Amino acid sequence: MLGKVNRPYFNGNNPFHKRVDLKETLIVKLMFVAASLAIIVSLAILYTLLNGSIEFFLSPKVSIIQFFTGTKWIPSGIDPSFGILPLLSGTVLIAGGSILIATPLGVGAAVYLTQFANKKASSIAKPIIELLAGIPSIVYGFFALIVISPILRQYFGASYFNAASAIIVMSVMILPIIVSVSDDSMRAVPRELKEASLAMGATKWETAIKVVMPAASSGIIASILLGLARALGETMVVALAAGNVARLTLNPLSQVQTMTAYIAQVATGDIPPGLAVSAAFAVGLVLFAITYLINYLAGLVVLRIQNAGKITSSKKTKKFKIPIKNNKSNFNIISSNNNDLKVKRIQSETTLVNRHRVAKFGILSVGSCLVFASVFLGVLIISILEQGLPSLNINFLTSYPSANPAIAGIYPVILGSIYLVVLAMIFSLPVSVGAAVYLTEFAKDNAYTRILRRLIQNLAGVPSIVFGLVGLTVFVRLFGFGTSILAGSLTLSLMIMPVIIVTTEEALKGIPKSFREAARGLGATKWQTVRHHVIPYALPGTLTGSILALSRAIGETAPILFIASVFAKVAPDSIFDGFLALPVTIFFWTRHPKVEFQNLAASTILVLLVILFAMNLLAIIIRQRSQANRDW
Amino acid sequence: MEYKEKNEDGSLIISNLDVYYSNMLAVNKVSLSIPKNKVTAFIGPSGCGKSTLLRALNRMNEEIEGCRMNGKIIWNGINILDSKVDPVALRSKIGMVFQKPNPFPRSIYDNIAYGPRIHGIKNKGDLDAIVEKSLKDAAIWEEVCERLDESAMGLSGGQQQRLCIARALAIQPDIILMDEPCSALDPIATTKIEDLIDELKKNYTVVIVTHNMQQAARISDFTGFMYLGELIEFGETQQIFENPKHELTEKYIMGRFG
Repeated sequence: MLGKVNRPYFNGNNPFHKRVDLKETLIVKLMFVAASLAIIVSLAILYTLLNGSIEFFLSPKVSIIQFFTGTKWIPSGIDPSFGILPLLSGTVLIAGGSILIATPLGVGAAVYLTQFANKKASSIAKPIIELLAGIPSIVYGFFALIVISPILRQYFGASYFNAASAIIVMSVMILPIIVSVSDDSMRAVPRELKEASLAMGATKWETAIKVVMPAASSGIIASILLGLARALGETMVVALAAGNVARLTLNPLSQVQTMTAYIAQVATGDIPPGLAVSAAFAVGLVLFAITYLINYLAGLVVLRIQNAGKITSSKKTKKFKIPIKNNKSNFNIISSNNNDLKVKRIQSETTLVNRHRVAKFGILSVGSCLVFASVFLGVLIISILEQGLPSLNINFLTSYPSANPAIAGIYPVILGSIYLVVLAMIFSLPVSVGAAVYLTEFAKDNAYTRILRRLIQNLAGVPSIVFGLVGLTVFVRLFGFGTSILAGSLTLSLMIMPVIIVTTEEALKGIPKSFREAARGLGATKWQTVRHHVIPYALPGTLTGSILALSRAIGETAPILFIASVFAKVAPDSIFDGFLALPVTIFFWTRHPKVEFQNLAASTILVLLVILFAMNLLAIIIRQRSQANRDW
Repeated sequence: MEYKEKNEDGSLIISNLDVYYSNMLAVNKVSLSIPKNKVTAFIGPSGCGKSTLLRALNRMNEEIEGCRMNGKIIWNGINILDSKVDPVALRSKIGMVFQKPNPFPRSIYDNIAYGPRIHGIKNKGDLDAIVEKSLKDAAIWEEVCERLDESAMGLSGGQQQRLCIARALAIQPDIILMDEPCSALDPIATTKIEDLIDELKKNYTVVIVTHNMQQAARISDFTGFMYLGELIEFGETQQIFENPKHELTEKYIMGRFG
């Protein structure tokens, strides 16, 4: 009688026979492959850099020793010289200078936001920091060359291109990273520690400086390292504002070339093909190694924070000498509870006025970091509006680029950007989400998984111009896609994949474990659980993250600088066509000697900013709606 | 004569104290007098406002956004809730020990020396003496004197809490507030803290909040029972536990609610 009931799980006499669901196995396998792409992408980067570098170093005109110790970088001409020191000094000058400015500003802003700002102040300050983070680097580059540089030229006698303008602008550009990572780590300091300090009569300022900041020091150091890595890998600001002459100087008023700017110079075709072009790969290799090292250090520091709860008592770093040993005491101790040790009376009243003064001054100075950031943002937006609004009209949006600024427009440029982003989304979204689901839900904690995680983290820190080199080598040349939309969007996909993976993982981790246990307890398979009870809830978070990643892609210039073609003046109609994109157009017009074109660059920036604003708004709406609908 | 009232004897006189969190009334018209060099305990069910009342005494409530206080707390003839009173100065005279042991993640020595340092003691010898005395007064000196340079995080929970008491003593306060100081500790560590509290009242006024009635009965001289933000009954501990006047107090002590 039982036999008549349809029980698919019955197999012979064993009611608990293990099923093999082909569909489920296949899905998990596919997600595994998606996650494993991280290895392929990493190998592609290594292949690109090593392949190009080997070609460069094998040339009879190049010696490795001279490359690392030479003080002249003259890539083209009759007698080329490839000594990387001037490029290194330029990079160190600009990245070091901007980190010197950004560290006090960023940490100060984070101290203010976490310790002193009331709700109203932080509700104003947070969007400002987020806006600064969302503005594409090409816009910062425009601002550095067109707004900051003229001021430096007029008042400080700087040259047309100069390091100082890049330093100033880049310090604001990396400010949001420093603020947000420091902010997180200071917020993570237990409330109890702050209360302990306040209850002893410490001022809020003393509590912030002596208790909160030391407790968050690892996070603050990590934030500075991450900011530094970003500054080292940044391309557009330096390519536009710092110049294209490699000089061994630390004078910020003169023009210098950074490693990234040299690669960009090659990308824009300003350098004749040949050895100078393969030199870009060697420079890329050095750049990659340096940023890798710094990101690695930042990762170590972050690890230390995560383990901070476990360590301590075993850690005996400095030996503290106790002058009074219990049994050899200068004092006559009879009982430990009842001692008449004479101690100095604390007279806090005497120092109180001074301490309050210090506190006031301190709070004022960390608060002014945020004021500075707001003023900077204000000036940036106003000056772009001023320059860009007059020529922003329907004609500009619907006509084609032209050598005549009066009739030039950006119609194909907008289309190019849209094609790029839509394709990049199609390429990157399914793969990244699959990889994230595999890593959070299915991956075992083994060496392979750890390697994958490590690689994805590293990929997120690779400078964008390096992806440009990869796109050129792999998609344009190796795969033979040429300088096409396809190659461009694939390159962008590589760049945003780690971002989407990380945000999706965050969203998945936010789903309570109990949901999974409930489903598994009812006999759902792992995939069914994930499919029905995890992914749906993580969807808003994933979407938000993806939109933000795409908005980063649409503003990116460096990776597609090699691929976008200046000559594509008609709208593309196939993915194999050449293309122009908004940020690339901004780059070329900003560099144009004619002011009319610089104004057009400003107009294009406005278009780009409007698109970005719309995408961010969408992300915010999705996030808020999902939070409002959430009942767990 | 806004804040001149006659209590030069060192007691704390609370009169008509209201504490609001945004619009929620957490403490409602509480009036009582906390005598000097005695242990005063507040008991009551969770959310009754006893911790809020305690945190009014050193104005720690002010660290929470949206908190307002009405009424007066008179100490040595001064209304400490007055806006002219500096909470920083006040807290250097009223120490506090928290529910969860909260040592700073630094050495044992630095934990104790933190308070004196911010209050202007810089001389190493002076600091050493204060550290030693505070640790002795908190009955933990013998356990830690050989490892003052080690992190305080390596101590056991009970040791950490006594370290926190020592840290509060190091600022040389007159009053010590304790917010359920034993709730995170095991029974042996609890006994040690209770013995310590008994010792401390020789030199300090101790105000303690506890959810443990037996603890209040064991260690306090005076007890206040709070319910829904109001002080239902206040009196000598023996009277409260053996002969409560209010029906609610009796119910709570008999374990019929809470």
